[in-house]
Amino acid sequence: MLRLLATIRKEWLLLLRDRTGLTLLFVLPLILITVMAMIEDAPFRDYQELRFDILTVDNDHGRLGKYIREGLEYSEQFRVIDSVKGQLLTEQQARDLVNEGDYKICIIIPPGATGAIVSNANKIVNDILKRMSMPGVLPVSTRKDSLNVTIYFDPASKKAFKSAIHQALDNFLTQVETDLLLERIKQQLKRKDVQETDSMVIQLKAVGLKEQLTGPSQEIDVISNSVQHNVPAWSIFAMFFIVIPIGGNMIREREDGSLLRMKLIPGSYLAILTGKMLFFVGVCVVQFYLMMQVGIYLLPLLGLPKLMLGQSWLAAFVVAVGIGLASTSYGILVGTVFKTPNQALNFGAISIVILSAIGGIWIPLEIMPSHMQFIGHLSPLSWGLDAINDIYLRNVGVGHIWGHVGKLVFFAVALLCTAAVIEKRRLS
Amino acid sequence: MTSILVQDLHKTYKGALEPSLKGLSFSFPKGAIVGLLGPNGAGKTTTISILCGLVKADTGKVQIFDLPQNATNREAIKGLIGIVPQQIALFPHLTAVENLEYFGNLYGLKGKSLRSRIDEYLQAFGLEKNGHKQVHHFSGGMKRRTNIIAAILHQPQLLVLDEPTAGVDVQSRSMILQFLRDYNQQGVSIVYTSHLLDEAQTICQEVAIIDEGRAVVQGGTTELIARHPECRNLEDVFLHYTGHALRD
Repeated sequence: MLRLLATIRKEWLLLLRDRTGLTLLFVLPLILITVMAMIEDAPFRDYQELRFDILTVDNDHGRLGKYIREGLEYSEQFRVIDSVKGQLLTEQQARDLVNEGDYKICIIIPPGATGAIVSNANKIVNDILKRMSMPGVLPVSTRKDSLNVTIYFDPASKKAFKSAIHQALDNFLTQVETDLLLERIKQQLKRKDVQETDSMVIQLKAVGLKEQLTGPSQEIDVISNSVQHNVPAWSIFAMFFIVIPIGGNMIREREDGSLLRMKLIPGSYLAILTGKMLFFVGVCVVQFYLMMQVGIYLLPLLGLPKLMLGQSWLAAFVVAVGIGLASTSYGILVGTVFKTPNQALNFGAISIVILSAIGGIWIPLEIMPSHMQFIGHLSPLSWGLDAINDIYLRNVGVGHIWGHVGKLVFFAVALLCTAAVIEKRRLS
Repeated sequence: MTSILVQDLHKTYKGALEPSLKGLSFSFPKGAIVGLLGPNGAGKTTTISILCGLVKADTGKVQIFDLPQNATNREAIKGLIGIVPQQIALFPHLTAVENLEYFGNLYGLKGKSLRSRIDEYLQAFGLEKNGHKQVHHFSGGMKRRTNIIAAILHQPQLLVLDEPTAGVDVQSRSMILQFLRDYNQQGVSIVYTSHLLDEAQTICQEVAIIDEGRAVVQGGTTELIARHPECRNLEDVFLHYTGHALRD
């Protein structure tokens, strides 16, 4: 126990005196997650959450244009713009502005669009009245060709964005057509000697949609957003970067002979190594909680959502320790395999970037191709992130994260055994 | 009684073309200051590594104070030996006291007894005013002296020093050598390896010269010089046995 405690004290003193190391371990990761959460905020937001400027050229000047404008404004998804510099937009101007990338979308409502919708509604009502053996009296246009509301997109727009806008506008058109049709039906029914005081309400939505949570707790409604993904993801990334100081530490001890001195002292070197590991696992856990504080307190001040931690603090602690064990063991292996701190630094940094990229730190694994998802699930960083997501988003407790933590611990043990074999071979 | 007995020691590292040790044999008496000398690549480091149990010999016999070096005795022998490596095996960003406390703790020493022992040795080596300075601020001589203290904290019966005076000034060297003589007077056996043969001649009562994995000669320092009338000093004896060819 004395060896273990003495080693923890020694590492603590060495870290306290290494201001650059302290900055690298505790300050840079905080900056990293703040920057990453802010940069990746926009891509993480649904299109429903964003508000777009939409150019509108209303050549109809009828109810459809009014309905579309009101509908778009009401949805709070769009800011309708129909004039630039005090001048009403023409179709050509709107097309040019979109083409030049100044605006993302433009819709052109053709002349006679309202008339066409009214005429169509009238025709339907007349048909219904005829089938009820009543005369259809509403005027119907004789026009045969169909009219289209035209949409222009910025050529750089992505397919998913176009699809979302198409869907939203299609919903508005359907709504306008339905409203006009219902209005015509109500007018005709009132005409048939119904008292004026009778407020007839036609409700179309008999069955609606309601979203419910699938997790065990129904109390917290957490959605995956930039903060919920980036704070845990980049925290795990930063925790794995402890490979570099540990690797350097191991190599320096070997180079300056202090490792030799430690091995010449009676007693197990395992106690010294355990002390070193415990210290660095502790550093990882402190890093983890500091970075969570950024998600809870700092990011909301910058206009980002607050990080929700789930309900099991014990589960999060167990996962943080698991990640710390895996990253510390990886550092010990790197420090054992490589001969110079430079080699360890380069290999350690590049390998963590690769493991993080395939492990879903940069972008969630769910949106990767299936073969990349398979490879990604082999990365220890993905095990940590899956466990944290289970705790934070699905509100699970300790009982549900043992699979992920077990993989992290197994990974740590496998790397330590490999390091022991390499060290033994080096001595012989 | 011998402090070290080595008989017919063989060692070939995995993947090496040549064996490091080819039947090395020597013995040193208990309580003496002895020199283990040899050119680069002679097998000194391998021998010391086998003596302290870091490396296993392929064949041969090693005894430290009559204890055979094997798995059963390895930890006990480690407690009997203090090694001063050629490198400054200290943590540069810890103070001398913190370094010594750490290594003392690893030996199982703690509390007031450790602290008083550290103070005693710091004073003996003229470092009492610098104990709380970080080692990277020390001069080469101060580092060397602290390096020695770290090896004797547990009061070993056999002290092995590898180039203990390399790169130090005359004053530090004189202090180190005087300490070794005084320490030896307390009954501690000392094995000294160095390329500074005038220093070895001054301090060692007996030397073993090894070359290419074998002991080429062993005997009292003055006796060896006297044995060869053409040799004026230990360096001449050394060159007589190991030749003038460069060992790169």
